[in-house]
Amino acid sequence: MIEIKQLAKKFKVENPKKLSEQDKKDPRLKGRFFHSVKDVSLRCEQGQVLGLLGPNGAGKTTTLRMLSTALQPDAGSITLGDVDVIKDPVTARKKIGFLSGSTGLYGRLTGRENIAYFGRLNGMNESMITARLNEIADQLDMHSFLDRRSENFSTGMKQKTSIARAVIHSPEVVILDEPTTGLDIMAAKTVIDFIKDLKQKGVPVIFSTHHLDEVTELCDHITVIDHGTTTFDGVLSDFVALAPDNLHEAFMKTLHTENMDQR
Amino acid sequence: MWLIFKKEILELLRDRKTLFFMIALPLAVFPLIFGGMAYFGYQAVQESQTKTLQYAVSGAKYAPSLMEALKEVESLELIELDADLTDKEQVSQIIDNEEVDFVLQIPENYGNDVLSAGQITLKLVLNDSQLNSVRSRITDITDEIESTNQRNAFASLDVSEAIQEAMLNPIVIEKVNLADSREQAGAQFGGFIPYFMFILCLQGAMIPAADIGAGEKERGTLETLLLSPIERHKIVLAKFMTISTAGVTTAMITVLSMAIWTVVISIYTQASFIVEFLSAIDWLDFILVFLMLVPVVATFSSLLLALSIYARSFKEAQSYMTPLIFVTFIPVIITLMPGIELKGVWAWIPLTNVALAIKELVKGTMDYVQLIGIFGSSVILAGALLGFCVYWFKQEKVLFR
Repeated sequence: MIEIKQLAKKFKVENPKKLSEQDKKDPRLKGRFFHSVKDVSLRCEQGQVLGLLGPNGAGKTTTLRMLSTALQPDAGSITLGDVDVIKDPVTARKKIGFLSGSTGLYGRLTGRENIAYFGRLNGMNESMITARLNEIADQLDMHSFLDRRSENFSTGMKQKTSIARAVIHSPEVVILDEPTTGLDIMAAKTVIDFIKDLKQKGVPVIFSTHHLDEVTELCDHITVIDHGTTTFDGVLSDFVALAPDNLHEAFMKTLHTENMDQR
Repeated sequence: MWLIFKKEILELLRDRKTLFFMIALPLAVFPLIFGGMAYFGYQAVQESQTKTLQYAVSGAKYAPSLMEALKEVESLELIELDADLTDKEQVSQIIDNEEVDFVLQIPENYGNDVLSAGQITLKLVLNDSQLNSVRSRITDITDEIESTNQRNAFASLDVSEAIQEAMLNPIVIEKVNLADSREQAGAQFGGFIPYFMFILCLQGAMIPAADIGAGEKERGTLETLLLSPIERHKIVLAKFMTISTAGVTTAMITVLSMAIWTVVISIYTQASFIVEFLSAIDWLDFILVFLMLVPVVATFSSLLLALSIYARSFKEAQSYMTPLIFVTFIPVIITLMPGIELKGVWAWIPLTNVALAIKELVKGTMDYVQLIGIFGSSVILAGALLGFCVYWFKQEKVLFR
């Protein structure tokens, strides 16, 4: 189980003059600080898939980066099982598998070397890595390109390798930032099937997406973030009930109405 | 930490660009460039010095003996011109039009009897931007005539040879140099060794540094690495060690390559003093020279890593790093200046003190006790910079710019 409560994060704006007109009007800009996340809470239980939704710039990636320990929150708490993620990030990292939206691979290493490297960094021995890598490669259909240098990979191959790298150490929770963005239909299906498999195994998965069809296919729980605050947090049926015939309308209903004219 | 270090080295060895700068450039390209320059330079000088030069003379009738001597030189060809060769403008035009390479103007008072003719001024009019050694070719001829004329004049004055010598050279300075050949050569060339070594270490470390800091940020792999359960200081240390290894390796390969080529060239050109100089430096001093490079490389690696971590992209990192080469030039150039020795304030200026210490080691005049202080202070500086790198690497504003 992973839970975050009242998470907040602000960034210093180095050059306010360079901000776009839209950013200058954003109510989260206060003086020289941009309050990217003001108050976000969510909870993902064992075997649950939590869909994190929100418009661009809502604070989803910042929230996920704090969850994954890449960023240090200014306020709030993050708990992973019995581990305080903020106080003990090194222990938490062993339990988290994170795929960021801007993730990359070491181009001069093969797919196998990329994945095995992160297995070693997570303290796995060679036999464990080999066994786990074969298991993941089967699931993600990676055997055909696993021993090629990743600099020549297609987007789908890169994404599959990145996911494999994120879960090589069998993490207790998996966080995926827009895992299907830019993938073709076949590659996206493989990734969705992989998330379903994680769910079956009881691994909590938090993933952000803009595809509402993926939400209905995968998620048990929905959290919507808008302008750095949680605007909806509930089970899928409650989200669908907001507008039963139109998921897009349901999503729009969860957003801050006072900011709608800015979109 | 070693896992990261091993991975970084593996990646570097698979990068053609890095391999080119680390191995191919020092091993093959440098000797080719320097060898090529020397060869073509030598060829150009040889050609210009042996080229047959055409010349015209005014006042030839005043100096028949000189004209005879000139005609005997195969590489000089006398050209008869219908022009007033005493007229400045006409002569200038002849030279500009390349009708001849030079014009020799002999005065009316030319004569072999010094006592009656007095001092004679021969004018050599030419465009001296060519490497034709015109003056030296003419001087070779006039020196002989001059010497004969001097001897004849002294003989007519009844002056003995010893007095003649004293009159021509009243004071002779005889240098008794107590410095051995190593010290002399070290004083001349010792300052260039740290200069090359520092630049090579920096050059060799620059591309790996840009790649494993900013390059990793640009490719999106840094964030993933930060999320592995490895403490930040260990990631920094691994990257620092990779950069240092690249810097030292490049320097070693280059020095080795240069040493081999220098010895080969010195054997072929009979410049035996180079081999003698190199063999005069004992192993302890060689080892100490390389030991002194350790804190220098560590200082460079820390600076480069700090810049690379700050930069958003490989290109941005390179633009920050290039000025560092010029910053490095200054303390090393100081050591090449006359009168700068490993004393007083110079012993405490970072990089300058190491460069001066390397110079002293090469000369064989190093005070080894002083070396401990220089090494220690350099290590402290490198350590402080590495500490700053670790601090820098923990800053979100730096990592997620």
